[in-house]
Amino acid sequence: MAAHIAPAFRTPMTDLVGSVMTHQTGSRCADFEMRAMECLEAYGVQRGRVRCVDYLDDLRECTFKIKQLARVSEMRVERHRQWLMGERSSEDHYAPPARSDAY
Amino acid sequence: MAATPTQDLPPKGGYAPVNFTRIPARSYFNGYQLFAGFGVVSAVACYMYYKTYSLVRREDIEMRSGRLAVEPLLLAERDREFLKQIRRNRDEEARLMANVEGWEVGTYHGERIYKTIPSERFIDPVINEYFAHGPSKAYTDNAFFSLFS
Repeated sequence: MAAHIAPAFRTPMTDLVGSVMTHQTGSRCADFEMRAMECLEAYGVQRGRVRCVDYLDDLRECTFKIKQLARVSEMRVERHRQWLMGERSSEDHYAPPARSDAY
Repeated sequence: MAATPTQDLPPKGGYAPVNFTRIPARSYFNGYQLFAGFGVVSAVACYMYYKTYSLVRREDIEMRSGRLAVEPLLLAERDREFLKQIRRNRDEEARLMANVEGWEVGTYHGERIYKTIPSERFIDPVINEYFAHGPSKAYTDNAFFSLFS
């Protein structure tokens, strides 16, 4: 993976201590990354790019939240479009705001 | 010259003797009494410090106990409000995207967000999703607070 920060030469020592930036430190994406890495370990990188594409896509989605953020902006665009076209009144333009201390 | 010049001469018989005996200052306490006074004042102050420090420690313990007791309540309240809000978000999304073709609630135009996770699993919302349906002022005012506390 291009964004992987990996040592230039692979030795047993770098295999042991070489993973500098991973998701394994309790992040939400730790399981996604583990599944993807185990699949890549089983198939190797070249075949793994084809066989494990679901795991890799889910890891990418968890890391960058692509679809979740795209959903949000689609929904907001739709909300503004409905307001502009008059399908939504001005009082109804937004829902009541969420409480800030609950996230 | 006929007139003799006047000179500033000492008086006849000389000056009176000058009294240069020392007059020491009146001393109220001697050295031992001063040290004793220092000791007494220090002892009293030490006792008062001890009493005050005990009181401060007791108040700290009480405040800390109170905070530890209340913390689970506050966390539970916060979790309840979080779940209620994401439920409201789901309902609002269903209402909003009812007429958009191919949109299922919780997906992106019908595509599930994660391919390898069963669809019944709860997906943690990102901060934008949590504030998605309110005015953007709510997000800009509160996102910093939510993310860093």
